[in-house]
Amino acid sequence: MKLSRRRWLKTSGITLALPCLELFQPASAFSAIVKQRRRMVCICAPLGFYAPNLFPERSGYEYQPTPYLKLLEDHRSNFTIISGLAHAGSSPGFAHQATASFLTGAEGAGRPGFRNSISLDQYAAQHIGGETRIPSLNLSCEGLGLAWTRSGAQIPADNSPSRVFSRLFLDGSPGEVETQIRRLEDGRSILDDLRMQATSLRGNLNSSDRERLEEYLTSVRELEQRMARDEVWCKTPKPKVKAETPKDISNPADLLGRARLMFDLTHLALQTDSTRLVTIMLTGSTNVPPIPGVSLGHHDLSHHGKDPGKLNQLKIVEAETVKAVGEFLSKLKKSREETSDLLGSTTVFLGSNLGDASSHSVRNLPVLVAGGGFRHGQHLAFDPQKPPPLCNLYLSMLQRLGIETDRFSNATGTLTGLETVG
Amino acid sequence: MAVIWKLSKWAILGVSRFSIESIFILSMMLMIPLSVVAVDKEDAQKADIASVPFEAARNLFESYCRNCHIGPDVKGDFRLTDLHSDFTDRKNRDLWESLALQLQSGTMPPAKKPRPPADNVKQILDWIGGEMAAAQVAEKAGVGPVPGRVLTRRLTRTEYINTIRDLLKVDIDLTDLLPAETNATGFETRAETLHVSSHLLESYMAAADRAIDAAIASAPRPRTFSRRYDIKNERSIRPNGSVYRHLDDGVAIFATSVPSNIQVTLWQYMTRARGRYRFRISGYGYQTEKPIAFHVKVGPMNAAAQQQTLGYFDLPAGAAAVVEFERSIDPEQTIRIVADGLRTSTREVEKIGVENYTGPGLVIQWVEIEGPLIENWPPPSHKALFGDLPQRAIKGAEGSGRVEVISTQPLVEAERILTDFARRAFRRPVTASDMAPVFSRVRDKLEKHATFEEAVRIGLRAVLLSPDFLFLKEPAGKADAYALASRLSYFLWSSMPDDALYELAGNGQLHNPATLHEQVERMLNDSKAVAFTENFAGQWLGLGAIDATMPDPTLYPEFDDILKDSCVRETLLFFDEILKNDLSLTNFVSSDFAMLNGRMAEHYGISGVEGMAFRKVPVPPDGRRGGLLTMTSILKVTANGTTTSPVLRGAWVLERILGTPPPKPTAEIEAVEPDIRGATTIREQLALHRERVECASCHAVIDPPGFALESYDVIGGWRDRYRSIGAGDPVVVDGRRMRYRQGPIVDPSYRLSDGREFRDIGGYKQLLLSDKASLARALAAKLLAYATGSEPGLAERAEIEAIVARLQKKGYGLRSLIHEVALSPVLQGRGIEQVTSPPTPEKTEKSIPTKRDQRP
Repeated sequence: MKLSRRRWLKTSGITLALPCLELFQPASAFSAIVKQRRRMVCICAPLGFYAPNLFPERSGYEYQPTPYLKLLEDHRSNFTIISGLAHAGSSPGFAHQATASFLTGAEGAGRPGFRNSISLDQYAAQHIGGETRIPSLNLSCEGLGLAWTRSGAQIPADNSPSRVFSRLFLDGSPGEVETQIRRLEDGRSILDDLRMQATSLRGNLNSSDRERLEEYLTSVRELEQRMARDEVWCKTPKPKVKAETPKDISNPADLLGRARLMFDLTHLALQTDSTRLVTIMLTGSTNVPPIPGVSLGHHDLSHHGKDPGKLNQLKIVEAETVKAVGEFLSKLKKSREETSDLLGSTTVFLGSNLGDASSHSVRNLPVLVAGGGFRHGQHLAFDPQKPPPLCNLYLSMLQRLGIETDRFSNATGTLTGLETVG
Repeated sequence: MAVIWKLSKWAILGVSRFSIESIFILSMMLMIPLSVVAVDKEDAQKADIASVPFEAARNLFESYCRNCHIGPDVKGDFRLTDLHSDFTDRKNRDLWESLALQLQSGTMPPAKKPRPPADNVKQILDWIGGEMAAAQVAEKAGVGPVPGRVLTRRLTRTEYINTIRDLLKVDIDLTDLLPAETNATGFETRAETLHVSSHLLESYMAAADRAIDAAIASAPRPRTFSRRYDIKNERSIRPNGSVYRHLDDGVAIFATSVPSNIQVTLWQYMTRARGRYRFRISGYGYQTEKPIAFHVKVGPMNAAAQQQTLGYFDLPAGAAAVVEFERSIDPEQTIRIVADGLRTSTREVEKIGVENYTGPGLVIQWVEIEGPLIENWPPPSHKALFGDLPQRAIKGAEGSGRVEVISTQPLVEAERILTDFARRAFRRPVTASDMAPVFSRVRDKLEKHATFEEAVRIGLRAVLLSPDFLFLKEPAGKADAYALASRLSYFLWSSMPDDALYELAGNGQLHNPATLHEQVERMLNDSKAVAFTENFAGQWLGLGAIDATMPDPTLYPEFDDILKDSCVRETLLFFDEILKNDLSLTNFVSSDFAMLNGRMAEHYGISGVEGMAFRKVPVPPDGRRGGLLTMTSILKVTANGTTTSPVLRGAWVLERILGTPPPKPTAEIEAVEPDIRGATTIREQLALHRERVECASCHAVIDPPGFALESYDVIGGWRDRYRSIGAGDPVVVDGRRMRYRQGPIVDPSYRLSDGREFRDIGGYKQLLLSDKASLARALAAKLLAYATGSEPGLAERAEIEAIVARLQKKGYGLRSLIHEVALSPVLQGRGIEQVTSPPTPEKTEKSIPTKRDQRP
């Protein structure tokens, strides 16, 4: 018997329909079970960091802090700086395009025929995303973000902190909620009809065309599910926060202002358990950032060509970025949860697709891991000539989220030397 | 031994396929049951003709490639033993493809190593091509007889927006709702990279809602305002101070500074409704002999950063003139006028005093704005959907002025409207089963007491989310005239077919070569063909990256927004000029003319061109300008804002112009770290790299164009010496000492991989021109890739060769090439075979007649 889920929902009533959508139960349903909530924030600085200012010479716990790490000295025991890592199989020449594979590890970004794979956050969202209002938050200070679907489609990123804030924390008027619910219902029934019809066409296609139809059908199904869960969450009041709606910064050059808004928003989202997975793409703007002492665009500075003047300015910009990350870590540290502080339950990963922006090298990537219950405080140094794949770190991070898996992308195992506490 | 065994194994496997085919034909002729013959195939293949290509391939690889490409440590990550004979395996096909590419372009074997005889190479390439074609046909033929190779794909963002524009007759911006295509290289139309996700579908929902809202008139006709604003009343322009001098007939502006808001903002004016507006700006160039350029920006009143440039214009010296233009604009926006090229700072003008300043300025007298311009109400978009159906005030919102369409026969009318809409949206006749989900939704709505308009709206949404709308579907196994109409219109217009094309598809005329020729001409002459230039040329040349880098202002103080804007216009107009007049595509390499305005001409050191208007200008015969390679746009997108890289530029020329992309650098190779301190040149740094054996073979082909283009800096300016921020000689321009210095001397001379030498870019261009067929081959492949959604491979090699041969007789005209591509069986969806039967509708199910179908 062909029974569309729409009709089924109609006859059985929406509350009855819910248990069917396993992944999408609201967090309240879980609140009885006390389970350690684990979270992850992945941040990409698309122009990287000037390595000599970041990586200490010595490895281990006794390292002398570099100019950038000095700025994080308060958190020394909360983070690990990791040098030498690279994505397996990466090559120079398409360094900026490698942001596409930053969280996926897929090889050949930027080349014709490149096909991406699922990003770390989305992989995690498949397992733990259903526990919160928003399965994962994909933020970008400018343009595209970091999240990719299983089939290799890019997930559009949120660029507007005010819009995200309103989605997370502002309840609409009863009328608006009503309209929104009707819109979701209409949308869902349209999708349902289309899916039934398109499914019947499947047999009439050759293999590559069928692949494309399948991707469409999967998208329809996933959107239906998302809309169904949005309908439920629509009826659940949103958490109240003290913060004001952030004011979006229209100046694309203000990379730090934008980054801070995103960090603050992330902090609120984690604190209210609206989501447990966040990706943040910082900017690599060609415009001159409004920072005293900086007269050239960030991208321009990153192509320093060893010019001392440019290196000085680059240092100012990068130090400001590191400071902003430090402030974010402090906020997480100060927020208490039942059993720990928020930093203890949140793995914060700061990295880049570029190891050296001036030569477009994609080796020896800057990697900083904070919080999340790892044993921190050291400089973990790998041989840049023969490093383990960066995805090994990702596998460690996934396992830290409580996801039982021993593979992710091209990982060969977890990252040696990065231990957990407890 | 193992190697040879492996090679022989390929032979057995590969040849068996040939044998089966030849045996099949034989058995058909003799009417012998296949099963009987098949038993002997193993024996038959050994002495068969079919084994010849494999023998040849094996011998060739054995003699020429084994040192580097067989064994545990192969070069370039390419291992011959990875190849096998199963061409149905796509990974294997890709390996063969890259091998063939190396053989074809002559990159491999590397220079100074023994090369196989050309005849053998050709024989092997032909054989690989044949295998490829056969495998592709087999793959496609999963469901039917021989189809084309065009892949089903979704519309690109640009195509979606254009299609919505033509389908709903609305002029709206949807770019903020739809994610940009993420295919960083190659064409956006590439089927493989056009993914769909639930997030994209959600964007489509939002876009459809906005488009439907814009199409349906649910409010009274907006009032059109027309007013002239005297610039002297503008509060941002202080009377006689700073950089503004009030004259009897206007205000002269001597300097601008956008960050400090020193420009002319029309605070007196704000748009009320979305729509098309006509602007007229009156003024003239002051204290100058030359026209004064300016640009107009539009945006919200108080957000300086959200301004969009409406265009660059100029006003003549001395005598007042009016600049007039029309643009579509959002509500609550105003315009800003920014004078360009005044070459002074606000500080300098203020220091001298605005009354005493004698330098050039721009006088603005008044601005006249009229809009929104509405010819009919309800607008054509509304009429196209609802015809003359009456409207009445929305129940419960009577006072608001909002209205909705009503009907006495809601279900009948809704079904009629939606059937006609779906036919246009799906770009083919529709069937009852196409419409079933749409109708069921409409009926459901009406049963739940939705109004007629609400029911129609949900039907429209359903159509716009259907895969039949979102995808360019390629019906398997049939040469479908409607699919061809779509292919042509998305090729040349990046949008849906118009009525004329649709009708020709319907009456079976479209496959007729004469008709097709006529249609291609008509389409190229249509204003919608601007999309072809913008999208094809733009993506072929990578012009989308024009904003990716900001030239270092210390090294390149002369770079400005007019130059950036103009250089892209230059390239697109140049492409248009060649297209319009069917000029030879060799002009892309070397031409005796350029399309320039005053700013570009100044940048290129060509005198006698003034103002912002572009025109065709002859260029000196030294080869420094003329052709694509030496254009600012290309030279900028291949540089990083600070330094140039011969490697990136060389690879760009190989990939985009010669169609022979170099192999990817292996993971072990580190990039050269640029140094702008003036002590060393990139060429010196590269020399070390090039001397390494594993790098030499690629650099032998990458470096020649790269070195020739070293004569151009990151903004396409000519240079004899590199600019440096460290060591070097001081530079003075227009009496002012520059912050950069003259560094080391540029050496653009080099030799091709075959040893032919050139002195500079002019010489290099001449060498490229000696092989016109290669240029044509490369461009034909690009056009096919763009038009069909996948790059042609070896399977299409023969077809491309045939196109090139015909094109040679037509003087390599670009327009002729487009005709060839449109007529090609590859685009026609005919595959290898010729269409013999008249085109049939996609489905056997009877299509629902609509108004249009009933026309004679």
